[in-house]
Amino acid sequence: MSRFSVVMTMLAALLLPAAAQAHATLDHASPLVGSTVVSAPKEVVLWFTENLEPAFSSIEVHNAQGIAVQSGKAQVSGGTQLHVPLKSLPPGTYTVNWRVLSVDTHRTQGDFTFTVGK
Amino acid sequence: MSPHMLRAALCAGPIALVALNAAGAHEIVGNRFFPATLAIDDPGVNDELAFPTVAISKNGDDPSAKQLDISGEFSKRITEDFAVSFGSAWSRIYAPGGPNMTGANGFQNLDTNFKYRVFKNAEHEFVMSVGLSIEWGGSGAQDVGAERFTVYTPTLYFGKGFGDLPSSMGWARPFAITGQVGYAIPSSRSTTSADPDTGDVNTEFHPQVLVWGASLQYSLPYLKSAVVDLGLPDFFNHLIPLVEASLQTPVANTFSSGMVTTGTINPGVIWVGQYYQVGVEAMIPVNRQSGTNVGAIAQLHLFLDDIFPNSIGRPIFSDAIASGRPMFGNKP
Repeated sequence: MSRFSVVMTMLAALLLPAAAQAHATLDHASPLVGSTVVSAPKEVVLWFTENLEPAFSSIEVHNAQGIAVQSGKAQVSGGTQLHVPLKSLPPGTYTVNWRVLSVDTHRTQGDFTFTVGK
Repeated sequence: MSPHMLRAALCAGPIALVALNAAGAHEIVGNRFFPATLAIDDPGVNDELAFPTVAISKNGDDPSAKQLDISGEFSKRITEDFAVSFGSAWSRIYAPGGPNMTGANGFQNLDTNFKYRVFKNAEHEFVMSVGLSIEWGGSGAQDVGAERFTVYTPTLYFGKGFGDLPSSMGWARPFAITGQVGYAIPSSRSTTSADPDTGDVNTEFHPQVLVWGASLQYSLPYLKSAVVDLGLPDFFNHLIPLVEASLQTPVANTFSSGMVTTGTINPGVIWVGQYYQVGVEAMIPVNRQSGTNVGAIAQLHLFLDDIFPNSIGRPIFSDAIASGRPMFGNKP
């Protein structure tokens, strides 16, 4: 490939119309990532940076013994918000595992913990 | 590995050392985002454009000359795990000795890199790729040091995040390392030339060079999303401070070059957004042969897979769901 072709390809990449959708990454969460909360939350809410595909987006919450503690299926609201209801949580540390598909079909996943204090 | 750094190591004469075209691909593995590093290539395979990369330094020539390089690299995935990239650089060498000397400028040789991701493990945030870089001899200007011979560099790349450390070491989990080890093989063992004034015949041997480097990174995005949300201002939550080392050691056919390791240590920081990243680093020469002053390098890097997810930003041959990044579980 000639240098001219490389330059033209670069310019084309910059000028082509963009359908700008990116990977959906976790912006923030409730309870906050790594936080300790005094009272048990009734749900986990995650805010993402891009709109999500509900059918391919999920949250699982496990206690220290690895037992799932969510009481329903994760739901998408407002396009970028994913939330799941929880059972009544006793004090302890909980792990949130999330997997989402953004509307442009990029997949991402992650996990974090929060603690319910005594 | 920048072609200039490699070229420097391949030269028998004074060594010029500037980091260029080291725009590796960014990569996501589980929780971990590996940014595109500036001085070394990294294990990612993706659709992206690094342009411009601007570097300024004083090279290892004697006397040392100031050198400005402006480069770009375009990377295109053919399949989910295989990509081809093209890059080159324009160099301006300011002649030592003041304005009476003119210096030189021109394009460096064109580079092509083929990279294949062989393994990816989300749980352990580990990724490994293999590649072959080709610097096409004779495609650049000899005035700025572009060689007439081609150089082939098979390379192994890896990245490892420390997110699998126990929760008691939570503050260490945002750390990650990446590295590369390559072996540069010139297509020509030597070049023979005659001095036009004296008629003396000089033979310059082109060494085979071990090309190696690593980066140590601390990801504040990882800290916020996977360890603890400290409520920092949003700007800081996008920063990845890092230190890179980019080195080259002639190991064979070293009659002209010697076997001195050259390179730079680059402390810096990368700001990562949704569609692009911006990086800036200092370039600290490891010895006199690597340069005489601390240089600097900066880069704008566009994530084409995020900007153009349905066109130029997806693999030519891909699954129905164009993840481009098999992140759900381990790769087979």
